[in-house]
Amino acid sequence: MTMSDWSKVTRPIPVPNEWTKPFWEAAKQGVLALQRCRACGYFQHPPYATCVNCISTDLAFEPVRGTGTIYAYTIMYHTGDARFAPAVPYASIIVELDDAPRALLVGNLLDAPYTAAKVGRRVEVVFQQLTDDITLPQFRLLGGDLDSSNAPQRRTG
Amino acid sequence: MWEHRCIVAVSGVGYSQVTRSAEVPLAAHALQAVKAAVEDSGLAMSDIDGLATYPELPASGHAIVDGISIVSVNCMMAMLKLPNLSWHIQVETVNIGGAVQQAINALLAGACRYAVVWRAMHNPRGTYQNLPGTYAQGPSQFTAPYGFGGPAQGMAVAYTRYLERHHQDREKMATLAVTQRRHAHKNPHAYFHNVPLTREDYLNSRMIAYPFCLFDCDIPVQGAVALVLTTAERARDLKPRPAYIAGYGQRLVFEVAGRIGSLSDYMQAGWSSARLTWERSGFTPKDVDVAQIYDGFSASVLYGLESYGFCKEGEALDFIQGGRIELDGELPLNTFGGSLSAGRIHGLSHIIEGALQASGRAGERQVKDVKVSFVGASAPIVQGTTFIFVNEPY
Repeated sequence: MTMSDWSKVTRPIPVPNEWTKPFWEAAKQGVLALQRCRACGYFQHPPYATCVNCISTDLAFEPVRGTGTIYAYTIMYHTGDARFAPAVPYASIIVELDDAPRALLVGNLLDAPYTAAKVGRRVEVVFQQLTDDITLPQFRLLGGDLDSSNAPQRRTG
Repeated sequence: MWEHRCIVAVSGVGYSQVTRSAEVPLAAHALQAVKAAVEDSGLAMSDIDGLATYPELPASGHAIVDGISIVSVNCMMAMLKLPNLSWHIQVETVNIGGAVQQAINALLAGACRYAVVWRAMHNPRGTYQNLPGTYAQGPSQFTAPYGFGGPAQGMAVAYTRYLERHHQDREKMATLAVTQRRHAHKNPHAYFHNVPLTREDYLNSRMIAYPFCLFDCDIPVQGAVALVLTTAERARDLKPRPAYIAGYGQRLVFEVAGRIGSLSDYMQAGWSSARLTWERSGFTPKDVDVAQIYDGFSASVLYGLESYGFCKEGEALDFIQGGRIELDGELPLNTFGGSLSAGRIHGLSHIIEGALQASGRAGERQVKDVKVSFVGASAPIVQGTTFIFVNEPY
């Protein structure tokens, strides 16, 4: 059994702020939207006060395709955080999106054995509702197997 | 080259008792280390007229109580009541190496004559990291919901990229852990001074956050270390042989908070600090006789070796093999045991060891004929600083 069991995990709930609100509002609609610089076109994540490429403050959120590549990952074995202990071992991944090179997104690798996390593997976004207000962008292998009892509803953006 | 090279020197150093977790208030450890450093210099406490520290408590979710979980400059001032105090500072953007550099600058400016820098580290009883509660605020809103809690995972992600991009094998890291442990056996202040570690222990240890096993993580302790800095001219009149500061640098790039996992961010930050250190001192990595490189997690040593220029990118796991980092090797590394085996007191332990090696005062673990001693204190990406100490002005 190499699938992580996420069903008993209690995730901390993100609290949107002035910079991050549009990200979470889009995610709630099943859309992955990142902050983009209107001056130079650079996509960035996490959101910030300025464009990290050209220092412009003219920034707006735009939808991006939810496909990308695993840039890095870790497999968590330590059960220090009781909320995540039921899922151990689990893969947390860093994704570089096709539309936003250098903007690194964090997610878990869902619907696949944690051993499937490898640098360079192709992934796509899926959305996992956490509360009435918050929906988490998550990732699964592109063209991956969805035959999992705790598979999140797929609403790609 | 830096016109101020070898104008300031490290004189005395001091260590407190180190315990696994808090038994007495941290102020007692800090005071013990500061007193020992002043005594090692042969100075009286009343000679000390400069104070600097970086007081952060890296364990999250614990109360910050000055004197119990941190020891600020104010706390030290309240304890010591120094009659001749003329300068003090607490740094923020870089770790304890920044406090050392500020003290060097203050001595160069004549703002003080004998400065003490200490680093006191609290290890709370119970869980080290009390992770975010029900809600994830600020930068953690993009990481905590995915199970990124303590720093091990945050540091582990770049390491998988390192290993897979460079086709490397994590088992090679056993050499670092085992060699540093052997160094710790020659350091009476090391937490694991008497505890052996074999290659098999490393390879069979439990996984924490792949690719990090237990022995890739440093050992949190409660303790403090301190050193005395003064001008080279004054240092020559004091008891210990001086370790002259030939150059320093600090991390000069920073990425947006909450961005994790980027290997290139580590490399750029390390290089930004080392480049100025090499330029200021006039040395190159090939001139270095002994190196201390921060090892809060083992992989930081690889990023350090590569970004500072000791070997090429992707080669550090091979570079550390074959006896190269032993005390009689080509580049003896973390000769006091490092944070992995001596205990987590952030980078000041590394700086102190670098100074001791340069001044020939490292006792049983002294590397022969040290002229150039390099230190990379703190993880390059986060709070990195770099130093070069030499045995003689040049």
